[in-house]
Amino acid sequence: MESPRNVGVPLQSAEKIILRWDSTASEEARERMIFDGDRHEIDRYLQAVDEIQRSMESATVADDQSKAIQIAMARLEDEFRNILIAHTGPIETDSLVDPSSSVRPTSTSELHDEDYADSEEVSKEVELQEGEAESSTISRYRSTNSIREIDLIPSEAIYDLKSIAERMISAGYYRECVQVYGSVRKSAVEASFCRLGVEKLSIGDIQRLEWEVLETKIRRWIRAAKICVRILFASEKKLCEQIFEGVGTATDDACFMETVKGPAMQLLNFAEAISISRRSPEKLFKILDLHDAIFDLLPDVDVVFQSKSSESIRVQAAEILSRLAEAARGILSEFENAVLREPSKIPVPGGTIHPLTRYVMNYISLISDYKQTLVELIVSKPTAGTRYSGDPTTPDMDFTELEERTPLELHLIWIIVILQFNLEGKSKHYKDASLAHLFMMNNVHYIVQKIKGSPELREMTGDDYLKKLTGKFRQAATSYQRSTWVSVLYCLRDEGLHVSGSFSSGVSKSALRERFKTFNAMFEEVHRTQATWLIPEIQLREELRISILELLIPAYRSFLGRFRSHIESGRHPEAYIKYMVEDLETAVLDFFEGYPVSQHLRRRSQ
Amino acid sequence: MRATDNQGSFLNRISIRRNQVVSMDGNHEQELEDLELFQKHVADRFSDLLLPKPSSAGDSPSGADALLSIAWFRKLLDAFLCCEAEFKAVLVMGRDPAQFAKAPLDRLIPELLDRAVKALDVCNAITHGVEMLRQWKKLAQIAVTALEQRPIGEGQVRRAKKALTTLLTSMAFDEKESHHGKSTDRNCSFGRRGVAAANKDKTAGNCRLLSWNFAKSWSASKQIQAMSSNLIVPRGGEPTGLALPVYVMSTVLVFVMWALVAAIPCQERTGLPTHFPVPRQLGWAQPVIGLQEKIGEEWKKKEKKGTCGLLEEIQRMEKLSQGLVEFADGFQFPAETDDVAAMVAELAAICENMEEGLVPLQQQVREVFHRIVRSRAEVLDVLDQVGKLSTPVPY
Repeated sequence: MESPRNVGVPLQSAEKIILRWDSTASEEARERMIFDGDRHEIDRYLQAVDEIQRSMESATVADDQSKAIQIAMARLEDEFRNILIAHTGPIETDSLVDPSSSVRPTSTSELHDEDYADSEEVSKEVELQEGEAESSTISRYRSTNSIREIDLIPSEAIYDLKSIAERMISAGYYRECVQVYGSVRKSAVEASFCRLGVEKLSIGDIQRLEWEVLETKIRRWIRAAKICVRILFASEKKLCEQIFEGVGTATDDACFMETVKGPAMQLLNFAEAISISRRSPEKLFKILDLHDAIFDLLPDVDVVFQSKSSESIRVQAAEILSRLAEAARGILSEFENAVLREPSKIPVPGGTIHPLTRYVMNYISLISDYKQTLVELIVSKPTAGTRYSGDPTTPDMDFTELEERTPLELHLIWIIVILQFNLEGKSKHYKDASLAHLFMMNNVHYIVQKIKGSPELREMTGDDYLKKLTGKFRQAATSYQRSTWVSVLYCLRDEGLHVSGSFSSGVSKSALRERFKTFNAMFEEVHRTQATWLIPEIQLREELRISILELLIPAYRSFLGRFRSHIESGRHPEAYIKYMVEDLETAVLDFFEGYPVSQHLRRRSQ
Repeated sequence: MRATDNQGSFLNRISIRRNQVVSMDGNHEQELEDLELFQKHVADRFSDLLLPKPSSAGDSPSGADALLSIAWFRKLLDAFLCCEAEFKAVLVMGRDPAQFAKAPLDRLIPELLDRAVKALDVCNAITHGVEMLRQWKKLAQIAVTALEQRPIGEGQVRRAKKALTTLLTSMAFDEKESHHGKSTDRNCSFGRRGVAAANKDKTAGNCRLLSWNFAKSWSASKQIQAMSSNLIVPRGGEPTGLALPVYVMSTVLVFVMWALVAAIPCQERTGLPTHFPVPRQLGWAQPVIGLQEKIGEEWKKKEKKGTCGLLEEIQRMEKLSQGLVEFADGFQFPAETDDVAAMVAELAAICENMEEGLVPLQQQVREVFHRIVRSRAEVLDVLDQVGKLSTPVPY
């Protein structure tokens, strides 16, 4: 309300009002807050302030007036603080809950599972359990894919805050205003952090924690960070803009920085600590999750922290991203190292799939899942051969024929190459050469199956390489056969049995008997031993048996056919012809089941 | 070099990070020389810090390079970065990784890595602490603005006093309390207190300018103590002589971190050690020991009555603020403004200093952080090559 230009009276009454509300002077002034009262009271006070302000603009300023303005400003500062505090609470997480969660369930437990397909069930279970363990409001959030400002303070309060801020700033009390605002709002942000589970861990703390514990924290951090950047910080920024609208962008930016700079740094410090932690293979996928989350968030970080004064936040976020990328590269390299150098010498009983093979193939499957990110991060080819100075035991790899493949694909292939290389080394610890071949056949076949079973993997390794691998396990199968059966079949050869003579039938009975005895003994030995060997994959097992039979049966049948009469015409034929063809066929069924023969006999008799 | 002439089959030092083989005999002399130089440089740089060049203002106490001023710290951090670069060259480049697996490095390197991690946390604490300094600067600026008005009226004096009281309380408060009674760590239900309560802790609330950035259990003094506890002077005649540069660099690192913690507000500084047993006979260490003694003395003096930190600008700010509050208490309009004017001018100059110097200081702290991260990563890389750290495939 514009009062007539009668300087004396309005100024005096204005001063009176100001003095009445001097909280250093009266108990009553301390007990009540102007802005809690009725609108009329508020307006009167503000008008009083305006009046004093106007009078300050005149040439001579009485000491009374300067005192009055200070009292008024001090009062307004308190009111400002009070309004802010009344409307300050941690962010309401309820408004953010959404039943469908959108977080990828990856954890180290997946890497140990026998069959990757099963593990997806397991990890979903884990996620659900975790969800129940944490408070139900925090476990799932509406997917925070983009900036979404919410109203932190009701608009009437904003109106009041604005009217105070305008006056404080025009009176030159800008600093006090910013300071009050910052301290109250920052506590609000910190309380929200508390609710969101953002922790104050030091780098030392993080280095000491078990990786599995950290995985959970990373997951939680990713969820929280999305909310912090896209909702919390964005909303604080909007609030500053609303309150300090029209006062010049410097103020709203200053207030925003006061409020969020510290918390933002604290938030980023966790991610930074993870990005510099020691590298080991099982960390890869969570590091990639973190990388992807920050990559996704970066544009929004740039928007929210646009101003010059928040440059350090943007810079830190970008630094963390690049460190995570470096970490991912380093870990992949670590992994390749570890596979190459995996030192266990104890042969897997029965020549079956080595745990290393399972682990590596699971790992590779996960890599193919993360292909989208990794293909951007992995930019250099694996360095075959020359990497390990003084180490002669490194496979060779010629990458020239794989020129069209991306570096990531080359790495995958390289990993399979070194896996095989390592397995070959392990196979040499088998005393029985046949078992060594069987072992290789089993493991390479497993690799092939895994690749075939995943379209992603198949595409990444390429059909050419798949063909090579297939060739390898077939070759191993052939080597096995040769190794075991050549000497057995040698018993069934023709040479050496015929005696040159004029009119006798020409077959040396003693030699023949020897042959049968030897054959029987060898076969029994092979049967006894190789029944305990294992080919886990059913189809392969049957194929190999069929292959053996194809070798064995015709040879034996023909041998029997030609020579049985000679044995049967002599004494104790049953001592030499122990087996009919059907017996051999039945016996071969025992092969590669992984049980000792006695158990087979027991099973058959049941 | 003459030593390599008769050893044609020896590989020369290749200074790429991988594939390194060092011929001990041939390059041993070079190594000793490098070590000597390293130590000499350390001594030179720190001697420069101990006896700062006189500022152009003569012997004014506000000389730009005064001990523990912002400018001095910037020099200190620069010196650190230079020493660190040299150290890395001595330790890592051209180094046969196998040496890392043998004594004495096999014990010293893990300690070094541990110290690095602690230093990183200290850097973060310091970065946070600089924000506190900014808050104090802003409060001081209010007082300066108010008291620069002419004539000085009661209003301005009250305003200045309010700001300075907040400032002084904060300086004392943050030291005495290692955590806040109303810390949001413990109590997430903010804003439910009544109006009266809000008014009552108006001053307390003002003091809570910044909460600490670590969990309550973190303690700057404990970190420094842990970093220095296993600093043992290598005995003469150590097999590879690498123990000495490690000791030198570690001493420098601990000194720098300690000085920063002593100067800049940091979480939980009570019990900050003031004595580090660096033997006097070590030539390179003389200036460092000198600095340690000076700073240690200051700390002991100030700690008794509670200190906001030894940063030179802050010490002066505290004194000036106390003086100005006294003036405000005894103020009657109109008043003599000459004395006040001098104090206000000095306070304004300090604020100006801080305005200019704090951002670069923070940037340097950040650079130190990055450098330590990088060096640690390189050391870990070398350890990987040795195979000591390669994690076995966890199946």
